[in-house]
This record gives sequence, structure tokens and C-alpha cells, in this order.
Amino acid sequence: MAPTPVEAGLLVVILGSALATAVLRDVLGSIIAFSAYSLGVAMLWVVLRAPDVGLTEAAVGAGVMTILLLLTIAKTVRPSEDRVLASFDPKTLVLVAAFVLALGATVPALPAVGSPDAPVVSSEVSQYYLDHAYKDTGVENVVTAVLAAYRGFDTLGEAVVVFTAGVAVVAVLKREVTA
Amino acid sequence: MTAVVDLLLTRYNYVAVVLLLGIGVYMIGASENLVKKVIGMNVFQTGIFLFFMTSAFVTGGHVPIIKEGVERYVSPLPHVLILTAIVVGVSLTAVALALIVRIYAEYGTLQEDVLREIQTDE
Repeated sequence: MAPTPVEAGLLVVILGSALATAVLRDVLGSIIAFSAYSLGVAMLWVVLRAPDVGLTEAAVGAGVMTILLLLTIAKTVRPSEDRVLASFDPKTLVLVAAFVLALGATVPALPAVGSPDAPVVSSEVSQYYLDHAYKDTGVENVVTAVLAAYRGFDTLGEAVVVFTAGVAVVAVLKREVTA
Repeated sequence: MTAVVDLLLTRYNYVAVVLLLGIGVYMIGASENLVKKVIGMNVFQTGIFLFFMTSAFVTGGHVPIIKEGVERYVSPLPHVLILTAIVVGVSLTAVALALIVRIYAEYGTLQEDVLREIQTDE
């Protein structure tokens, strides 16, 4: 199944802005490119029929993340450089090329995008959730049902991670004030 | 050559995953600035997300919200996993950026090469 024009366009935007984050020398420019990238990714999630993930990505990835990054350079420094592009690092590039080739070699073994025989889509687990979610929980949105009911402990763990991260951020930044 | 074109036409998202992972690793490895390394980590992370979301997708599938008369839905499970992963990723980024602010307060620079010099001098 060939990509639709929307999918192809979004992938080009995503890859282009990801490349821009890497090659732009200016950190602020890199952050702006990253937030464009996140927005493109959020739109791609909607195209892939995942509106919940799209909303989260737009709010958290493009919104909160950009604010955090901007706050960081506001609190620290934005190196001013005349050059627009970052200097190349050929040694890392060779390593990355090897990494990409090794990963790329596995791509032909993956199922075609959107194929109904793909293991995840045709698996018993996916079908179980789709068949039982409404009966078991009364929630029409299966993603919500799985998130809050079937995998509720997972979500509790997520809350613990967020709490721990909050504590860690306060601990790290507070010492700066007292020191 | 036709094999490559065929790959691009049928497994385009997975090709994008590989390229995004490559860009992420390059940024982590090559960027001298710590903030850019964190951005690279996030690009890498979204590459993984794209892999999961693509595995859940089925052509003609409906959004996984139960509705009368809909036969085929996309798989909801990867969506749930990625929702969790996005939030965990932001927490991780917040801690990394807090450490960066602290490093700057301590050393007055965010350039990796300068930091390394300072460390060898100490």
C-alpha cells in the first residue's frame, strides 16, 4: 500500500525538521525546528488513527517540551555564532551510517504498513480489548479503557515516574539556590 | 533498485523510523551543546514511537472508539503504551534540563568540549 499524499507530505516535513534540528548551529533555531517536528508528528498520529496520542503529542511534545527547552536556554546561555550550520562530525557520521544500515537491513522483514495480517493488528490481545472493553468498563474509547482499567497499574507507575521526576527537578534546582 | 522503491512504497514509515533514529543518534554523538543532545534524545524517542504507532495501523481501520457497524479498528494497545511513553519522556527531559541548568550554574558553559577541559584541569 503506497503512502497517501498526506502521509508522504507529513513524513517529508517530519524528516526535514528533524534534520534541521540536527544541522542548525543556533540552539534556539534547533528548538523551533524541534517544535515544528513535534507538531508534524502529532498530525501523523492523527493520520494513523490515534487521536489520543496526537493530542498528547501536540500538548506535551510541541507545547510543554518547547517551553521547557526555552526556559533552559533562558536560564543558561544561547551561544551566539555567525555560522548557520553546525560543523560536521565525520567520525560520528560513519558510526551513525553503520547504525542506520544495520537497522535498515531489518526493514524488509517488517510487515507492510497498514497490512491487516501484521502481527500487532491481527493479534489476540488487540482483538480481546476491542471485543471486551465496552462490556467490561462501559467506556467507548478503547484506548482510555486499556489505559485506566486494564493497564491501570501501568498508569500508576507512570504517575510515580512523573512524581519522581518532579522531586528530582526540585532537588537539583534547589541546591543551586542554597549554594 | 526496484527493491528499494518497493521498500519505500510499502514500508515508508519504517524507513522513516530508521532515519529518525539515525538523526537522533547523530545529534547525541556529534552535538557539542548539551541542550541539543537532549533534543536529539527526543528525536530518537519519537522514532521509536513511530515504530509502535505504525505497527498498530491498519489500512481502512477505524479510530479505536467502539461504534455500531464498524468492522475494523486499529490496535489500541500500542496507542496506550506510547501515551505512557510520551509522558515518561517529558519527565526524563525535565530532569535532564534541570541538570543542564545546574551544570551551567556550576561551570558557566554548556559546551561538552569545554566541560571536558575543565574536568581534566581539576
